[in-house]
Amino acid sequence: MTQQMRPSLDDPRVAIPAESTWYEPAPIPQTERQAEFLTLREGEMFVNMGPQHPSTHGVLRVIIKVNGEKVVDLDPVLGYLHRGVEKLCENADYHQAICYTDPLEYVSSLFCEAAPVAAFEKLMDVDVPRRAQYIRVLTMELNRIASHTLFQGWMALDLGGITPILWAFIERDEIVDMLAALTGQKLLYNYYRIGGVNGDLNHEFMSRLGTWMSRAAAQIDSNLALINENEIFVRRTRGLGVLDAKTAVKMGVTGPNLRASGVPFDLRRDRPYLVYPELEFDVPTRDEGDSLARYLVRMDEIKQSIRIIDQVLHEMPDGPVMAKLPRLLRPRPGRAFGAVEGPRGVYGTYAISDGTDQPFRMRIHDPSFVHLQLVGPLTKGNLIADTMAVMASLDPVMGGVDK
Amino acid sequence: MTWNRLTPAGRALAVLLPVLAIGGALTTLLLATFGGAIAATIGANLPIVRFLVAAVVTFLISVPVAFLLIYMEMKIIALMNLRIGPDRIGPAGAVMSVVHGLKVLMKEDYTPPSVDVPVFTLAPVVVYLASFMTLLVIPFAPELTSMGFELGLLYFFAIGGLSVVGLMMAGWSSFNKYSLLGGIRAAAQAISYEIPLTLSVVGIVILTGTLSLPKIVAAQDGSFLDWFIFRQPLAAIIFFIAITAEANRTPFDNAEADQEIVAGFATEYSGMRFGFFFFAEYVNVFIVSALFSAVFLGGSNPPIHIDLNPQILIDLSALGIGLPLIAGLAPVVGTLLFAAPIWFASSRIKGWQALVAGFLIFGGVSTAAVGIWAFVMLPPVASLIWFLIKTFSLVFIFVWMRGTLPRARIDQLMGFAWKWLLPASLLNIFATAFAVLIAGS
Amino acid sequence: MDRRLAALLQEKVGERLLTPVRQRYDESEIRVALNDATDTLRTLHDDPSLRFEMLIDLCGVDTGEEMQVVYHLSSSTSGDWLRVIVPGLDRAAPRIASATFMWPGAEWMEREAYDMFGIIFEGNRDLRRIYMPDDFRSFPLRKDFYLADDASRSPAAGVRNMERAGTPADATAATVLRKSPGV
Repeated sequence: MTQQMRPSLDDPRVAIPAESTWYEPAPIPQTERQAEFLTLREGEMFVNMGPQHPSTHGVLRVIIKVNGEKVVDLDPVLGYLHRGVEKLCENADYHQAICYTDPLEYVSSLFCEAAPVAAFEKLMDVDVPRRAQYIRVLTMELNRIASHTLFQGWMALDLGGITPILWAFIERDEIVDMLAALTGQKLLYNYYRIGGVNGDLNHEFMSRLGTWMSRAAAQIDSNLALINENEIFVRRTRGLGVLDAKTAVKMGVTGPNLRASGVPFDLRRDRPYLVYPELEFDVPTRDEGDSLARYLVRMDEIKQSIRIIDQVLHEMPDGPVMAKLPRLLRPRPGRAFGAVEGPRGVYGTYAISDGTDQPFRMRIHDPSFVHLQLVGPLTKGNLIADTMAVMASLDPVMGGVDK
Repeated sequence: MTWNRLTPAGRALAVLLPVLAIGGALTTLLLATFGGAIAATIGANLPIVRFLVAAVVTFLISVPVAFLLIYMEMKIIALMNLRIGPDRIGPAGAVMSVVHGLKVLMKEDYTPPSVDVPVFTLAPVVVYLASFMTLLVIPFAPELTSMGFELGLLYFFAIGGLSVVGLMMAGWSSFNKYSLLGGIRAAAQAISYEIPLTLSVVGIVILTGTLSLPKIVAAQDGSFLDWFIFRQPLAAIIFFIAITAEANRTPFDNAEADQEIVAGFATEYSGMRFGFFFFAEYVNVFIVSALFSAVFLGGSNPPIHIDLNPQILIDLSALGIGLPLIAGLAPVVGTLLFAAPIWFASSRIKGWQALVAGFLIFGGVSTAAVGIWAFVMLPPVASLIWFLIKTFSLVFIFVWMRGTLPRARIDQLMGFAWKWLLPASLLNIFATAFAVLIAGS
Repeated sequence: MDRRLAALLQEKVGERLLTPVRQRYDESEIRVALNDATDTLRTLHDDPSLRFEMLIDLCGVDTGEEMQVVYHLSSSTSGDWLRVIVPGLDRAAPRIASATFMWPGAEWMEREAYDMFGIIFEGNRDLRRIYMPDDFRSFPLRKDFYLADDASRSPAAGVRNMERAGTPADATAATVLRKSPGV
């Protein structure tokens, strides 16, 4: 077999077939689907976006097959941020495992730690004091607002607007500073403990929260006014990437993305945890299922979160914030699945105990991972610019996708 | 050695002074010898010399204009974003864009392997040339038009359209798919918007009967109600949208949409070649604003004609020996006059500080006085100031849009041009022609 | 949780269950054999009284002696959650039928389980590595994966062979570090 070879232009040490139009050796398709993807028809080409690209929300690589400007197919390539958190958690004890889960979704890390904490508490039959439950709800809702306001800025940024992200950071910075006053960290809080929280509410947090609550609604409304009624923004997102309810359920979509398709599935109401059953809030849904609906559902959720925070502040009881627990935790062998409703969907942790002080298996389920699957089906037939709009509206965070 | 102890400024002076002295001597010698012949040559080829001077001057003003616009954009968008923006270099960071320019000059100018080198190198040149050549016909004031020839508007559209060639060259030669997409987007967009852009001013051409920009400006003489923005409002809207697209500005900056195709046609460029694209963009913004203000906002005409009829006639020669005396004493006396109240105001202010402040205030006041005198007494200065006020208001609107609007999608953009702007501009032509016909008969 | 679900499950898929329905807190758990997995999932999904239509999570588990695949389902009528454990996959060549025919969204989760455990899901159209590079040879979440820096177990061992992707040839015979047959 004497195939004519030539050195690759990218890397002269690599020899590739002389007639090959690829710069690198063409990848050998491993699966049926990949073979289909790698076959170029007339007029098609690959455009490689990432891992360093302005709008991939982290280090995501998306190979887009385009025909002109039209996206024919796309294939996300993950793993650039893979840290093996599940394996790390298996080799850490139960307390240490919580802090490994923090950096998963770094814009909403309280939810990432709330899920394993919930699972571990089930494993160990721990009752969380009521004040700690209220504090958890309070901080989680604050974090949800921070995440959603950031989402708003990202979404506008991916559509080319540069101002909303900086306006969104007003709210986010204030919330992050507030939580820093409470937990000592600005981003990766590591605040929840098995059986409670790390510390009681302090004065700085409460005074900041009070000031912020008095202006939050007005400030958020003014942020929303920046783009909600913008003709270009609405035209670029309405009817784009429509996800119908049936497909959404079959794809395992959760959270605001599912509610934007008209399925009122919210763990806070359907499978209540902590003190959510005692609180009054709505589950905003929309029927369109397009990018605009996904955006608006999140914006409605911000208002519900403010409502929840208001109730929590009024009803929070006094008492301890930490259950009495032994220093070394050795739960009985068993399995538990802890899940919380986060700003992106269901954050789940499936923990298996084998009686030692380390989890035998800790599976972390992240909603961004599921939602990123949808980018392909939702953008087929649209333009390159729409890929960014759809991806932004699904709001994946690569730290969580890559675990 | 003495050389080593000199400051950088001193070294520069030490080098420059002999050069200047020798150069001055040589020039004097040259002029004395061949002065007559040079004058005769210039006199014989006046149009060519005029063109050369105009071209050099427009080229020279294009760079500071770009710096000014870049600074404006950085600062205004920063304020809109609730940021501070540049504040380190110069007062309120005003020299920041110049430093940016120097940085771009000093960066490595990298030519990637496998690009089409001649085309890759020429592309920024073509883009920049196309930008600043259109400056030639901009009527800054009736007396300050570089080349006020009869087909000015047509020349503008023709040369302005050339920049597409440069963008396509950049997109194609870069051997990069983002660049290719950006170049093709730029071409498609510019060609689509060229048509409504050209058609929208046909109504004005019908009304004025000329394509010459100074004559169009002259046709808007009178109060601000004579401006074409009020006589041709539809055309003004179409024109404004089309120039936004022509200048590749938000919301029509698809050719360099960094969220989609990284930097479009400029992806593979670095160093000064990228700088040329960058400058060309801002020069373009200035030029389209200037064109809009010339065609629709009355150009150098003031909004309302107030005939001040100034009769300030000072016979300077009558002062005799007093003139140099006044010229020499005025700064000293002025400085002391302004410094005295500052010095008395607070005991914490040192004498030299009061003097410096007094000198600065005197400088500002006297500059303002001279400016007001020039504005009143010299018509070109007043015209230029009106023109620049209008142009920079438009530039501000462009910056404002950039800070406010998201980006339109490429198909919406093209659909808008062909489905809405083109019929609307045709409608405008027919309506204008019909009105002219009725009024004429 | 409530007894109704246990009774329903017993009635609908009772003959396929390996162990009785286990319930603790708000979780119900059933175990089905490898051969029955697809049929059971289909019944759970389609049966009008159950309608476990939402796949919350799919993951693999290595107990050290066998492989398991665990599904977490959510019912769209009653809001019940159910854990379906399919134990007994051969550690040497774990194979199971894919769930993508019913839940297309399981595709990436199955890819992840393949990437981490080497479980082959028959019927998944795109079963390839998702996190690890394509030329990676071992499966990191298996219990015998050679951990170069097993810090929690050997406090002063330091970093060894951090750069090596697979189990090095000189590693002590592929030892399963932890076993938990009861899982």
